[in-house]
Amino acid sequence: MADRIVIDPITRIEGHLRVEIEVKDGKVTDAYSAGTMVRGIETILKGRDPRDAWAFVGRVCGVCTSTHSLTSVRTVENALGISVPPNAELIRNLMANALYIQDHVVHFYQLHALDWVDVVSALKANPAEASKIAQSISAWPKSSVGYFTDIQKRFKNFVESGQLGIFANGYWGHKAYKLPPEVNLIAVAHYLEALQWQKELVKVHTVFGGKNPHPNYLVGGVPCSINIDEANAVNAERLAFVGQLFQDAKTFVDQVYIPDLLAVASFYKDWGAIGGGLTNYLAFGDFPSNGYNNPDSFKMPRGAILGRDLSHILEVKAEDPEQIQEYINNSWYEYSKGNDSGLHPWDGETKFNYTGPKPPYEHLDFSQKYSWVKTPRWKGHPMEVGPLARTLVGYASGRADYKEVVEYALKTLDVPVAALFSTLGRTAARGLETKLTCGWALEFYNQLLANIKNGDSRTQNNASWDPETWPKKAKGIGMVEAPRGALSHFIVIEDKKIANYQLVVPTTWNASPRDPKGQRSAYEESLIGTPIADPKNPMEVLRTIHSFDPCLACAVHLYDENGSTIHEMKTY
Amino acid sequence: MRNRTTPLREVHVWELPVRFYHWINALCVVTLCVTGYIIGNPPAFMKGTEAYFNYWFGTVRFIHFVTAFVFFFNFIFRLYWGFTGNEFARWYNYIPLKRCQWKEMLEVIKVDVLQLTNKKIDSIGHNSLASFIYFLTFLIFLLQCLTGFGMYAAMSKSFLPQMFAWVVPFLGGDMHVRQIHHILMWGFILFAIVHMYLVFYHDYIERRGVTSSMIGGWKFIEEDVVERHDNRTEECPKKI
Amino acid sequence: MENQRPTFYEELRGKGVSRRDFIKFCTTMAAFMGLEASGVAQIAKAFETKPRLPVIWFHFQECTCCSESFIRASHPIVADIILDKISLDYQETLMAASGAPAEAAYKAVMEKHPGEYIVMVEGSIPTENEAYCCIGGRSALQILQEAVKNCKAVVAWGNCASAGCVQAASPNPTGAKPVHKVISGKPVINVQGCPPIADVMAGVVVHLLTFDRIPQLDGMSRPKAFYSRRVHDTCYRRANFDAGLFVESFDDEGAKRGYCLYKMGCKGPVTYNSCGIIKWNDSVSYPIQSGHPCIGCAEEGFWDNGPFYQHLPGVAGFGIETTADKVGLGLGIGTAVGIAAHAVVTNVRKHKEIINEPEAGSEVETKKV
Repeated sequence: MADRIVIDPITRIEGHLRVEIEVKDGKVTDAYSAGTMVRGIETILKGRDPRDAWAFVGRVCGVCTSTHSLTSVRTVENALGISVPPNAELIRNLMANALYIQDHVVHFYQLHALDWVDVVSALKANPAEASKIAQSISAWPKSSVGYFTDIQKRFKNFVESGQLGIFANGYWGHKAYKLPPEVNLIAVAHYLEALQWQKELVKVHTVFGGKNPHPNYLVGGVPCSINIDEANAVNAERLAFVGQLFQDAKTFVDQVYIPDLLAVASFYKDWGAIGGGLTNYLAFGDFPSNGYNNPDSFKMPRGAILGRDLSHILEVKAEDPEQIQEYINNSWYEYSKGNDSGLHPWDGETKFNYTGPKPPYEHLDFSQKYSWVKTPRWKGHPMEVGPLARTLVGYASGRADYKEVVEYALKTLDVPVAALFSTLGRTAARGLETKLTCGWALEFYNQLLANIKNGDSRTQNNASWDPETWPKKAKGIGMVEAPRGALSHFIVIEDKKIANYQLVVPTTWNASPRDPKGQRSAYEESLIGTPIADPKNPMEVLRTIHSFDPCLACAVHLYDENGSTIHEMKTY
Repeated sequence: MRNRTTPLREVHVWELPVRFYHWINALCVVTLCVTGYIIGNPPAFMKGTEAYFNYWFGTVRFIHFVTAFVFFFNFIFRLYWGFTGNEFARWYNYIPLKRCQWKEMLEVIKVDVLQLTNKKIDSIGHNSLASFIYFLTFLIFLLQCLTGFGMYAAMSKSFLPQMFAWVVPFLGGDMHVRQIHHILMWGFILFAIVHMYLVFYHDYIERRGVTSSMIGGWKFIEEDVVERHDNRTEECPKKI
Repeated sequence: MENQRPTFYEELRGKGVSRRDFIKFCTTMAAFMGLEASGVAQIAKAFETKPRLPVIWFHFQECTCCSESFIRASHPIVADIILDKISLDYQETLMAASGAPAEAAYKAVMEKHPGEYIVMVEGSIPTENEAYCCIGGRSALQILQEAVKNCKAVVAWGNCASAGCVQAASPNPTGAKPVHKVISGKPVINVQGCPPIADVMAGVVVHLLTFDRIPQLDGMSRPKAFYSRRVHDTCYRRANFDAGLFVESFDDEGAKRGYCLYKMGCKGPVTYNSCGIIKWNDSVSYPIQSGHPCIGCAEEGFWDNGPFYQHLPGVAGFGIETTADKVGLGLGIGTAVGIAAHAVVTNVRKHKEIINEPEAGSEVETKKV
């Protein structure tokens, strides 16, 4: 008889996720993931000005803040045939870079680390030993014996206060924790440092977008103007500030994040064989170095991998109705064409149809609909999206920068390529692409400086700003690689208003319930076979779930009264 | 139909304070509408210059605010005069509490608006429909003061605007207040157009000297109408 | 138990913060709260003597931007000290525990500290169907109503909890409601904004701790310390507004010189927040400074006051870009046409009366009364 274990709420994620697993003989035999909150942002968007959409969809998620806004302006620009000035593209890239680095660091330390790091064990550490280890793996200056002694003392006082705050009721002392106390202490120190540091890099958003979270975007470019002879615009001081922030970020990533990641990983190499799950990976690619309409110039390449076959990169076309389809057979919505039909987002058509138990409830009934998350499929296949998918596509495409970091990590940890297909691989891939992103950010930054030096200060294309210039009907797609994976928006504009707006987001791909063929999506599939040492404290489940960096508010907003089909197409 | 050669009598309808009120109000409304419209849609005639040389938009707003105070106190005065002025200025003219006032309104609509018949309306002051419309404009005045000073309260800590500080939270935010204030401005503009037309229309048809009455105070009213009014045998005595 | 809790000051000292830095921190907080120098001593005293305040922080229909903003609080020690100071016993984004142990954490606070703990809420509450937001199998409404029963006060973070925010925008498909509409009998502080400015969030917490009372609130329950001024009145571009210097289109010459964004739809004149004073992310900038008009995110219903890029809101039922002015102009033209028609009809229908007028120079008897 299998045990049924419920984990709800899953914490240290964005949004509301519930996971139920069945455990038999110390292993997970079945898993269900359910999104338990819905807001209906797509319905709200109908009838509004497409130029305003970025602000609405931006509020889909405040953790990966700005990615939805970026996707939205790309979507509207795609529909209206607008291309943005090179500076605007670079500034958007820089903002996305800043988000990647900040978000991945926060994920590693604040959201994921506590699955691997036993903070209570750090109290037993020898600070001198910790200092020695820290200095052996990194040149980061905060590594003296005194420093670690202070941190330990500070933390000890905290624990002794009896009020553990956010650390209360953790899985401290769990058998699955394997780090020596000294490494735990280093991680605790860096947990606090990361918390202080993360607020710095987002200032890139504040410079260009005025605030963070939820910086401002603009259809046609970026809202900030460049004028190197003016105090009220982006000038040398602002640019130097951005440059400094990226330099500091690179230092932090190279000297803290990556060494910590590899150090922690070296103690958990067994997780290189756990939590692999799906064998299919999808990436839309991003960071255009020569215009968004030219995907070949993307720093992150676009493509799909099926069956872990790294020798074939398949072409991805989001506008192809045969490629992307969404199902609702296990989600609390209804389709007019029937429960088991799949719809391309342009024809997206949904209606709330809650059939679950009335709260409060103990269990969800998995023979029925059980989630607010829809189920997207690529050519009928369930796909994993996110850092691992991107890294695999980049690596398999033979990109030199990807090859270099991947091979470096594999060599350092002394594991085979197959270890990438795992919980550990996912967590490592996130770190590796952070390292790549730091490099790209400086490249984009230098390009921006060069442009300005050459006299190009344009940041906005106003040609199609006025709705009078718009066609009567237009359709558009915007694709972005959000920190959590492939993100796409679909818009239909009619009579200068939004007629239909659909979002297919990373966590929808990963966290969705089963499709009509009974295929599990990434979360559910990856949990199968996970060892559970203590069914009362299923921490191992969190490791794998957190390795995806769930973002549930993104996944469950999908609601749209009646998607009408329009056959007129505009440029893509 | 009464003959045009019916003897007329000059009646002193509009007292001096009422006439002053009217023209001050007219001036204020015009000023407020013009400046208000500019505040809502500032023209783009300044470019390539620096802020320290200019203050024209601030001046426009200043004029708007000063005029608003004049308008407000003028309005308060008129309300006061509604209780102390002559019978044509009294408040009961404006609020249709009597059946006959509603009847007269219907008559006016038939005669002057739809022009179904050519009967004559025998009012010395305002006819009932006109009075009622003025009553509505008074409500707009009131709303305009509430919303205007409500918004102004955020900028001034002085006593009068602070009395209106509750308006913004009550209406759910400045944006809503601003929108109401702006829409009501169009109420003034539409009223002014119709008002001026009708004044000339009545002079054209009735020749009672409506237009000049707001300057001199005198109207030319047919003898029999005045007599019926004095004997209180008119069709619709408004006095309470 | 509670009496043995270390004070904030003791904790700071334990963390190696010097007395001098501590006073500096208090001064900064006092400056934020507009206190006189004497207030500094008061803040310092509060931190030295008060035990840590238990806090339960719920997430309902939200996007976590308030949590994200909170951890951006930028004064030297606020980010981690405030976290410790308020004994954040339940906070889904940051807490270590998941599932039942997590829920146990906030239930323990409710049992151990009745009447003492603060409930902080991020997100709105769906009322159309409670199942639109469930945590641990219970609905947001059930969780909230139970938790506030014995709390000291409620802090509603951000526009979601204060006014419903984006999910409450028309047509509000989930019936999303702010905290103050679904609970009663407890003071609710609306800390507005989408999200609120990090340092405003920190400032509200410090105010609660220091003075042990709810800050003075405005008509919409927002702390006056941060929401008594319009963004417009504290905007550094205000001089351009008074001078009538406006950006006419994005990235035009005016934009490059920092003119006023009024005509680009800036909602600064109708929005109460500290953006122009405290600014964002360590006072680096704020939307207007970075060239984008304020969208009014600290105001109730700001989503339905759009479109964002025009000064006046659209008029419902008239389509994009139809303002009151367009409707007014239409009515004005309609009136003029009506008048013209009326004048023509008058000349026809009242022909007799008009020609019936006395000849010029003929005497009509007039009497003065």
